[in-house]
Amino acid sequence: MKRSYLIFTVITLVVISVIGWIFNSSGSLPAFEILQFGVIGLMIVFAAYFGFTRLRSEKRGEPAEDEMTRKEMQKTASLSYYISLYLWLVILYVKDRILLDTEVWIGTGILGMALTFGIVWVIIHVRGLRNE
Amino acid sequence: MNNRIREYRARFNLTQDELAKKVQVRRETIVFLEKNKYNPSLQLAFDLAKVFGVKVDDLFFEEEQGQ
Repeated sequence: MKRSYLIFTVITLVVISVIGWIFNSSGSLPAFEILQFGVIGLMIVFAAYFGFTRLRSEKRGEPAEDEMTRKEMQKTASLSYYISLYLWLVILYVKDRILLDTEVWIGTGILGMALTFGIVWVIIHVRGLRNE
Repeated sequence: MNNRIREYRARFNLTQDELAKKVQVRRETIVFLEKNKYNPSLQLAFDLAKVFGVKVDDLFFEEEQGQ
């Protein structure tokens, strides 16, 4: 139960930070920032889904995590780490060709990693975890 | 690998929820098992077989055998 509440606490903190970010941006938001907000929004939805499924399982009297969810997480983490290495290589290549602040590149990399994790999890969840 | 979990669950008149609680997994895991989208650990396979009072190889079998 504690971990489920921790997930919702983190989501709340992220939402508060994003609202603060929007209010501090002067004038209209550039397209790139809108894209970043979109990715953050997707991650919030993803985390909320995890939080709610954990809570639902706990309320039903089932374990919040079991062997399948742990295996799913392990496979997602290993595969998304592998893909993220290539993502950072692409960022290293592109950063000399497009002029942007270093923080923007780092932020893009972190968001890209989060997005990769989400996409990989969805693919694994839809395809299932059969021994190949 | 294929399995007869759905068949045995119906025979024992158990819901997915009840079976999940008996073997201490989430209901979703039972759904994935029945759809053959997940191969369980040996421990879970033995736990499931114990619930139905059968051998593991009665519950799980190679795909050719079921056809």
